[in-house]
Amino acid sequence: MLAKPGKRKFDEHEDGLEGKVVSPTDGPSKVSYTLQRQTIFNISLMKLYNHRPLTEPSLQKTVLINNMLRRIQEELKQEGSLKPVFISTSQSSDPLGDTYQEAQPAFSHLNSQPLQLTDLISTTPLESCLTPASLLEEDTYCTSQIVQQNISSSRLPPPPPPPLVQPVKDSFSSALDEIEELCPSSTSTEAASEAAVHLKDEPVAAGTLKPEGTQENRTSEPKLMDSLPGNFELTTSTGFLTDLTLDDILFSDIDTSMYDFDPCTSNTGAASKMAPDELLKTLSPYSNQPVTPNQPFKMDLTELDHIMEVLVGS
Amino acid sequence: MSCGCLDIITTSNADIISTVEFNHTGELLATGDKGGRVVIFQREPECKNEPCSQGEYNVYSTFQSHEPEFDYLKSLEIEEKINKIKWLPQQNAAHSLLSTNDKTIKLWKISERDKRPEGYNLKDEEGKLKDLSTVTSLQVPVLKPMDLMVEVSPRRIFSNGHTYHVNSISVNSDCETYMSADDLRINLWHLAITDRSFNIVDIKPANMEDLTEVITAAEFHPYHCNLFVYSSSKGSLRLCDMRASALCDKHCKLYEEPEDPSNRSFFSEIISSVSDVKFSHSGRYMLTRDYLTVKVWDLNMETKPIETYQVHDYLRSKLCSLYENDCIFDKFECAWNGSDSVIMTGAYNNFFRMFDRNTKRDVTLEASRESSKPRAVLKPRRVCVGGKRRKDDISVDSLDFTKKILHTAWHPTENIIAIAATNNLYIFQDKVNSDMH
Repeated sequence: MLAKPGKRKFDEHEDGLEGKVVSPTDGPSKVSYTLQRQTIFNISLMKLYNHRPLTEPSLQKTVLINNMLRRIQEELKQEGSLKPVFISTSQSSDPLGDTYQEAQPAFSHLNSQPLQLTDLISTTPLESCLTPASLLEEDTYCTSQIVQQNISSSRLPPPPPPPLVQPVKDSFSSALDEIEELCPSSTSTEAASEAAVHLKDEPVAAGTLKPEGTQENRTSEPKLMDSLPGNFELTTSTGFLTDLTLDDILFSDIDTSMYDFDPCTSNTGAASKMAPDELLKTLSPYSNQPVTPNQPFKMDLTELDHIMEVLVGS
Repeated sequence: MSCGCLDIITTSNADIISTVEFNHTGELLATGDKGGRVVIFQREPECKNEPCSQGEYNVYSTFQSHEPEFDYLKSLEIEEKINKIKWLPQQNAAHSLLSTNDKTIKLWKISERDKRPEGYNLKDEEGKLKDLSTVTSLQVPVLKPMDLMVEVSPRRIFSNGHTYHVNSISVNSDCETYMSADDLRINLWHLAITDRSFNIVDIKPANMEDLTEVITAAEFHPYHCNLFVYSSSKGSLRLCDMRASALCDKHCKLYEEPEDPSNRSFFSEIISSVSDVKFSHSGRYMLTRDYLTVKVWDLNMETKPIETYQVHDYLRSKLCSLYENDCIFDKFECAWNGSDSVIMTGAYNNFFRMFDRNTKRDVTLEASRESSKPRAVLKPRRVCVGGKRRKDDISVDSLDFTKKILHTAWHPTENIIAIAATNNLYIFQDKVNSDMH
């Protein structure tokens, strides 16, 4: 089933998205689409990490895989921006307290109420919130984001070497274009309208953050420069985990069946109303799969966090 | 479009053929392989007594073009694999070709020697200096015939021009310059100058995180030395005019087809990535290959290709698996015949496809040892989709995706084609032509 990603399912998905406004009866196709997307997402991540050591990976391939990840990520973000509830639980998804996960702590520090956060997300649905700080030091596109990221990184110890997957999270403007191409207009208007509603509720939330952030901005600058992300030239040597036990720790207590999870969320019509442990389930089938000996599955803790960011961020 | 097999040439297991290229007359055929070797084949002159033996290609010369290297700054291996070979137009008795691996381009001279000088005054036959006291008279050295020897010598080494992997080289019609393209840049070189090149295209963004598109192939126009085209991983072609500015970052024409919404999927971008671009011999058209199709573009029409041919549309439902096993990133090449009326490109399962542009007929042929004994006529193959299966049909599920024909070449004037199937080189000849001889 997974081997048939053809147009049909994508169309069904589009129908589903549009139909959702009217009635949430699009269960099965939505499930298969989500499942397929998750599979492709996992495969893409694997591809970025698994290449022959000492050889330079094909830039073309890396770029294409990155674009794929970006696209899925933006889709997830868009779906996520429609539904507000997930954020209050964000930090519990990080059992080892890894330092890389900067964005989410930032939110929990700055915003006592989850609702305020969703306002932020909704007002900037596409360039949304969970980009690692290290990527944003030159990005003047969205000041409120930089503010949050910087605060968080100044509170936390310097992040570990950036993982391969980082290139995924950038270039908001291009992602924005992509989204506009990819998503049916009904979805975005839906998102926009919902965003507008939230904005009316708490219009102050985003604004109040800014002055506080600009002060912090300067102090955290040097640290950010230290944590410059690996660009495509650097990707070859970073991101490999020498100690696989981290995976074991992370995934030891996780139920693997995403099949249990997907139908229920889609039936309720709230795909992103996920608790973090449910989100982990969506990841776990991949990591628990038997790994072929010549392609050992190596996933750094930071990379796992990144996936969490992507999913929770949606 | 039936083909007879002319020749099967097998190289050793380690040497997977990575490029195939005829020279401008078609007399020579060069292959490059993963081991950095270049093998040159020469067509045997026509034999009047045995008309059948006409036109076979035999090994003319073999040499090691590139060696594996190690980049100590980046701690990376530089493979010796030959990515591309391009012949230079012949200027004198010697032949010249450019060969490139991921980083370094080399100019080789291939010359013949069938005479050697004898009778030097100061040197003996082994080349050692004679004892001057024994030299009592002057003699004139003479050229004596000897067995034909093919000498290959490196003439130029163009290094340090590329940070990324070189995917294309193309010799300009002015015969003095050539260009080399890597993932993000295109450089213009003079054939005689190795320490300097001009960057004519640079699509590297200021921040590599913003990178979403790479250059996949590039070629000079066959007649207009100022024009060249390059293709991208997003499926577009950009025609650039070097007269416009020194740095051709701004294309003068952009050839792009709007995405068909009915075929949209996760893999739309990957399968639209152009793996090869070739100008027609006339210079009027461009041929591009993406994962599932070949397209013919008119230089005068930017909005869409004038012809689109499906190479293996039955794979459209299998893209996820092909993504998983990396096949979706395979870079298939494409080729024009001498009169620009037929196009050819490779596929999986040792199949290759030909499309007749006039009759709109297409054929799938197989390059395999079993089916193509010398002089045997190739039978068209058919891949069936779904239930109905005729005799000799092969089902989509039994295609062998490890046997792929990526590299093909067409003789510049005759209907002779060279097909590289992993470590085998097949040379086929059009049946009608061979019957006539």
